[in-house]
Order: sequence, then C-alpha cells, then structure tokens
Amino acid sequence: MPPSPHSDAPAYAPRNYLNAPETGLRSWLTTRDHKRIGVMFLVAVTVFFAVGGIFALLIRIKLLTPQPAMMSALTYNRLFTLHGVVMIFLFMIPAIPSGFGNFLLPLMLGAKDVAFPRLNLLSFYVYLAGAAVALFGMIHGGADTGWTFYTPYSTSTTTDVVPILLGAFILGFSSILTGLNFIVTTHTLRAPGMGWMKMPLFVWSIYATSIIQILATPVLGMTLLLVAVEHAFGWGIFDPARGGDPVLFQHFFWFYSHPAVYIMVLPAMAVISEVVCTFAHKNIFGYKAVAYSSLGIAFVGFFTWGHHLFTSGQSAFDAGIFGILSMFVAIFTAIKVFNWTATLYRGSISVKAPFVYFVGFLFFLVFGGMTGVALATVSLDVDWHDTYFVVAHFHFIMVGGVIMAFLAALHYWFPKITGRTYPEGWALVAAVMVILGFNFTFIPQFLLGNMGMPRRYYAYPERFQALNVASTAGASVLGLGLLIALVYLLVSLRYGPVAGPNPWHSRGFEWNTPSPPPPENYEETPVITRGPHEYDDEPAALPPAAAHEPEHAS
Amino acid sequence: MAETTAGNAVLHSHRARYLAVWVALLFLTVLTYVLARVHLPGAWAVLVALAIAVTKGTLVALFFMHLWEQAGANRLVFATSLVFVALLIGLVIADNATRFPLANPPGSAGALPISGADRDPPAVMEASPAP
Amino acid sequence: MQASPLAHHFESLDKQAHAARLAMWIFLATEVLLFTALFAAYSVYRFLYPEGFVQSSRAIETWIGFVNTLVLVTSSFTVATGYGHASRGDGKRTALFFGLSVLLALVFLGFKAVEYTHHFQEGQLPGPYYRFEGVKAPGAPLFFALYFLITGLHAFHVVVGMTVLIVVGVLAFRGRYTVAYHVPVENAALYWHLVDLIWIFVFPLIYLI
Repeated sequence: MPPSPHSDAPAYAPRNYLNAPETGLRSWLTTRDHKRIGVMFLVAVTVFFAVGGIFALLIRIKLLTPQPAMMSALTYNRLFTLHGVVMIFLFMIPAIPSGFGNFLLPLMLGAKDVAFPRLNLLSFYVYLAGAAVALFGMIHGGADTGWTFYTPYSTSTTTDVVPILLGAFILGFSSILTGLNFIVTTHTLRAPGMGWMKMPLFVWSIYATSIIQILATPVLGMTLLLVAVEHAFGWGIFDPARGGDPVLFQHFFWFYSHPAVYIMVLPAMAVISEVVCTFAHKNIFGYKAVAYSSLGIAFVGFFTWGHHLFTSGQSAFDAGIFGILSMFVAIFTAIKVFNWTATLYRGSISVKAPFVYFVGFLFFLVFGGMTGVALATVSLDVDWHDTYFVVAHFHFIMVGGVIMAFLAALHYWFPKITGRTYPEGWALVAAVMVILGFNFTFIPQFLLGNMGMPRRYYAYPERFQALNVASTAGASVLGLGLLIALVYLLVSLRYGPVAGPNPWHSRGFEWNTPSPPPPENYEETPVITRGPHEYDDEPAALPPAAAHEPEHAS
Repeated sequence: MAETTAGNAVLHSHRARYLAVWVALLFLTVLTYVLARVHLPGAWAVLVALAIAVTKGTLVALFFMHLWEQAGANRLVFATSLVFVALLIGLVIADNATRFPLANPPGSAGALPISGADRDPPAVMEASPAP
Repeated sequence: MQASPLAHHFESLDKQAHAARLAMWIFLATEVLLFTALFAAYSVYRFLYPEGFVQSSRAIETWIGFVNTLVLVTSSFTVATGYGHASRGDGKRTALFFGLSVLLALVFLGFKAVEYTHHFQEGQLPGPYYRFEGVKAPGAPLFFALYFLITGLHAFHVVVGMTVLIVVGVLAFRGRYTVAYHVPVENAALYWHLVDLIWIFVFPLIYLI
C-alpha cells in the first residue's frame, strides 16, 4: 500500500460514502455501511450529550444558592438521575466505541466493513429504541433514584423508574451487539500482513473495551430486570424486609458498572494513543506495553467492583481484597501514561487542537487516577464516600477523560469523516475554555467533598456556597467552550476548506484511503507491511497539505 | 470445519462419539438422582451433585459443542466467561460469609440469631433461629 | 446468515464461517453471564438460608426435574446428530433430527407446565405470594422467587431455541445448506446445547441440593 502523504488521491474524493451509493435520508436509515452507522451514532450521542449537559447546568444553577430555590427537591432528584442516566448510558458508553469505533475500526484493519453489517445497523436501532424508552420514562416524570438505582429505594419509589430501567436494559443490547461485532471483526477481517502486533493501538483498546461490553453487560441486564420485577411484584430478591440482601444488588450493579468505567475510558485511551503519535510525529514508545495494558485494564477492571461498597455493609475481608485489587488498575494506567509521555520525548510536536485535548486528558487522567487510588484506600473512602470528592473524582477521570478524547477524536478525524478542516484558531480557543472550565467546575468540588459536603443534596449549609458558585461559574465556561466547538464544527461541515487525504501527515492506516473514504473503504485490499505508528521512514520534508477549492459533496 | 474436509471415517467416529456421550449423560443423570435420594451427609450432597453437573457440562461442551476440536479463540471465549462466573459468585459469597453479622439480612444464617439482633424477624414467616 | 453464502467483505466462506462461529461463542458467553447473575443470587441465598432452601428443594417434585433432564439431554443428542448430517450435506435428515428435538423440547415444556400448575395450587410462589404450608423455614419464598426466575428464563430460552431449530430445520429440509456452508446449522445446534448445558446445572441446584 502506498504511504499516504504522497499518494495521488484527490483532495476531496468525488465518490465517497457520503454521496454513494445514494444520498437521501432513506439510504442512510437503511445503510449497512459502517461509516454511515458510525456517523449516525456520532450525531445521536452528540444530541444526548447536549441533553445531559443541559441537565447538568440546571443542577449547577440550582446549587448557586444553599436554600431551596427554582425547583422542588423532587425535581432536583430527577434531574441528577437523568443527568447520570443520559450521560452514561446514552453518551459516554456508546460515544467513542459505537461512533468512532464503527467508523474507524474497519478502516484501520483494512477491511471493507465490520463482520456483521446488518447486526451493526440493528445495534443502532436498538440504541434508538432504548433511548426512546428512556426518554418516555423521562417525559413521564423520570426517576429520582440516582443513576445507580440502589435498592430498596428504587423498588419502592413512587416515581416511574421502570421505563428508565428498561431503557438502560435495551441500551445494553446495543452495547453487546457492537462489542460482539468488533471482536469478530478484529479476529477475522484484518488485512493481509496485519498480525496482532501490527494492529493500531486504537484497535487494541477498542478490542479490550468490547470484551468488557460482552462480559459485563448481561449481568447488568439481569440486575435491572430483577429490580423491575421487584418494583412491579415485590418478590423480595433485594428487599431486606423479605429476607433479601440489598447489598447483593450493589454487587451486581457494580460488577457491570465498574468495568463500565473502562468501557468509557479505554476507548478514550484508544483515541489518545493515536493522537499522541500523529502530533508528535514519532513512533509510539513501547507499543506492546500500551497494547497489553489495555487488556490488563479490561481484566483487572473486573476485580475491583467492591470498592463502591466499602461503606454499605460489605465485609472487611472483601473490602480489603477489592481495595488492593483496585490499585492494580493504576499500574496499567501508569504504563500507558509513561509510554505516551515518553513518545513525546524528542518528538516534533505540532500543537493543534487534538494535541491540546491530549494534554488535558493527561492531566485529568493522572489527577483523577491518583484520587482514585486514594479512594480505593478503605479508611480514606469511609471519610470521602458519597461526598463531592467522589463526584469530582469520577468526573475527572471518566467525564474529563471521555470528553477530552471525544473532542480530540472529533477534531483529529474531522477531515477523515467529512473531508474538510475546521478553523484551528477557534478550536484552540474552545479547547482552552473546555479544559479550564472543566477544572474550575470540579476542583471546587474536590474541596467541597473534602470539607464534607455530601453528593446529591438539594440544600446545603451556607459555608459551602462560595465554592459552589465557583463550580457553577466553571461549568458555564465549560458549556460555552463546548458551544463554540459545536458552532464552528457545524459551520465547517459546509464551509471548511478541503482537507486532502492526510492533512496531519499521520501514518495511521485509516489515512491510506481518500477522505472522505469511498463506500467500500479500499479500492483493493491493502497489504500491511509496516507497523501502525512508524514514523522512521518518513521523509524529512513533507509536502504541504493540498489546498484545493472545495468541491461540494452533494 | 473439520467435518467438511475429512472423510467418512471421521463422520462415523463422530456418530459413535455422540452416542457414547449421550449414554454417559444419561448414566450420570441417573447417578446424581440416585445419590440425591440417598441423602449424603452435609456438604457432600452439594459437592457430589455439582461435580457430576460439571462432568456432564464438560462432556456437552467438549463433544456436542465440539470445543474439543475448535479454534483456540472459541475455547478462550468460553473459558473466559467461566472465569467471570467464578469471580462473581466467589467474591459475592465471600462477602456474605465474612460479613459483620448485622449486615446480613435478619433471620438468615449469616446474621445473628434473632434474639441477638435488635430487629424484628421478617414478617412473612415464623422464623426459627438460625444455627 | 446471508442468502448467497459469501458476503462481500469476507475473503472466503471458511473465514465467514469462522466469524459466524466465533460470534456465536461470544453470544453464548453473554448468555452464560446473564444466567450467572441468577446463579449468584441463588448461591448467596442458599448460603444465607440453608434450611429454607433444602426443605423447599425437597418439597418440589424431583422426578419431574429428573425426567426433564433426561429429555433435554436426549434432545441435545438428537441435535448433535442432526448437525452431523448437515455437515455431510444431508439436509433432510438434519430436518428430521431437529424435528425430533423440537418434539422433545415440547415434552420438556409440558412437564414444566404440569410442575408450574402444581406450584400454583400448592402456593409455592415467590415472595409475598408464598402460601405453602409445608415449608416454614426462612428463605423459602426467596427460593421460589429464584426458582421461577431461573426456570422461567430457561423456559424462555427453550422456546427461542425451538424457534431457531424449526427455522433452520425447514431451511435445511429445503436444501439451503451444503457441505461447504452449513454454519447456521452449527450455530443453532450450539444454542441448543447451551440451553441443555444450563439445565444441567439448574437440575442439581433446584432439585437435588
């Protein structure tokens, strides 16, 4: 396969997946093209990101004052529940795997499509169905249990928790189908010459994510069904009044939901591994270590769920085991962090928006991760449990990680997906605003938690007000930054300059096709002869990116 | 796809194998049923029944489901799922077994005897104190 | 899964069959973990309420579970034999043996229905609906909650498996599958064996110990 910076591919492929074989809504809704399905996922998750973001802003606005104001306590409880449900099940879990993973995995493997294209489309519609059921539940009043649905409250609440449970249950199927598809694709559709050790690191991480998705999600599905059964019929599985053990629910719930953190963060690491090589123009440092540490995180991530149960009656024996095992995650994460930073060493770094998001990611991951190690210490967790410290911790590592990677991916692959570029200046402004805004939102929450402010409280003592106001101010900056990003990206869809096949001079395999890629990805099956992140044989002087006049796709 | 390429001899051996496995499964089912009637003492009943179930399950997986001759990936998938079965069941039971007694559901064997716990017994049943 | 066996993005039928088989195994793994949640709940409550569980287990008709195990094991054997015929390209016999398996599955469900009716008459029902006089030990209502959840979910899988066997059996009868391409038959058989496999563990847990 010809190295791409010098390929004679046209700057804007005239026949691409956006206009071939057909345009029109119908052809999109019935497509089996993984690229179109990926794009539809991206649109859907972005919409839900906005919805969840609006819920978050409403919560933050309420928390400006310590007294009850603006909304009733019940409404507040519903808001934080819906914020959690939407952000986790509808945005973070599908965002990178189902969106970018769908678009990129076959391109990176040199395949024409995923292994089961129809299943892939089904996965999208199952996602929409789950979202519709959950939305119905929200409009119908929404639950006030928190996204964790802890029993026995969730089985006795008068709010309509069942549709939301069913929505999450259905969304689980979408997640399983995508994971299954990706694993089989990785096993069977790698291009000739691509052994496992020549797979891009993005693929490794997505593969590890898929393993978690298929092994953990069924347990959640069963658990949510049990809660729904209990809510409807009161069979007493988790009800202490009937001999049940509510802590068992927490075991089941976190058996999924802790690995789910890695369903969110591993794909973020997938994106970052690609971005760091491209923008340092340098081989990845320690390819095998980064690749295997993805599997390590996926595996160890299953052994840690009990650290959510330190204060809820779990035995000291289990708490000790889970506390120690939780810290192992930090080892694998640190392997990645050190390898990424080592990759930067003596690289030729171009500070573009994706790179700025990489730096933000690194900060959030390290800081959030270290507070995570602190929280995995049983004695410390007893103090911090259910305070804003925990809220800030998981927002740093999950949300910070995912949003940074999602935005990095959106900018990095924007030319690949749309064939156009975005305005770099605006992107840098937005990136800085998002990163600073995020810090100003959650650093005050670390402090609040450490001072003892519990999470999920509607009213709070006056002495917490200053930091709460600071947090809301930070959230506003964050929101504004995201809004700016949305506006210029939407404008660039139509008016952005044509990008050319490989505007970043990346060596990633996905850039070997024209941008946007043709419907069948590759004219002929590529043969892989080099590793995915090799910049050794790159010529010193790169030809400037072609700056052709935009040829409109449609 | 061993069958498609192999000759008829292999097919015949397969048929014999299915038959042998079936007979073994029937035998083990009868055996476990009879042993359960005997009421083995204490934990032995559980152990024997589960050991027989594992044997039967292994036979089904290896020969009916052809894991014996399958590609490594398929074996790995199944083995991995079993690891996580053991993980969930093992750590959850370990929790209940080592808990502070008041944290187990009142009236259960893991909790304090009813008289010791400052709680009412579950409403539905007339609970006898647990051992 | 395709009408014309080879899909455009696979290089060969062999590879495509490998993909389908791997996908089936992954799906089976998700099924195993789906049941695992219930088995884990069963284990915990059996640990917490040994008396209630042992007495309840003895209170239900063990022989029905025993007969049903024999029936299901036999159906697994007929499915395996049916698959053996498919791999030789003998679709008619595949259909015959799959049909036999479906009949056995119906027998299984028939016994299950008898059993459920019996439970309803006796009041051996989950949680607050428990009215059975025979067992008073704590945990008995939980036993029956889990009993209905596990056997109910399993029965649902039996129904799904029957449907799959019927569809694949009919297609096999029409000569859809060849020596070179019969992976749908194999996957249908795998699904049925899993249903059997799960019952092999349900039987001792519910009826014997």
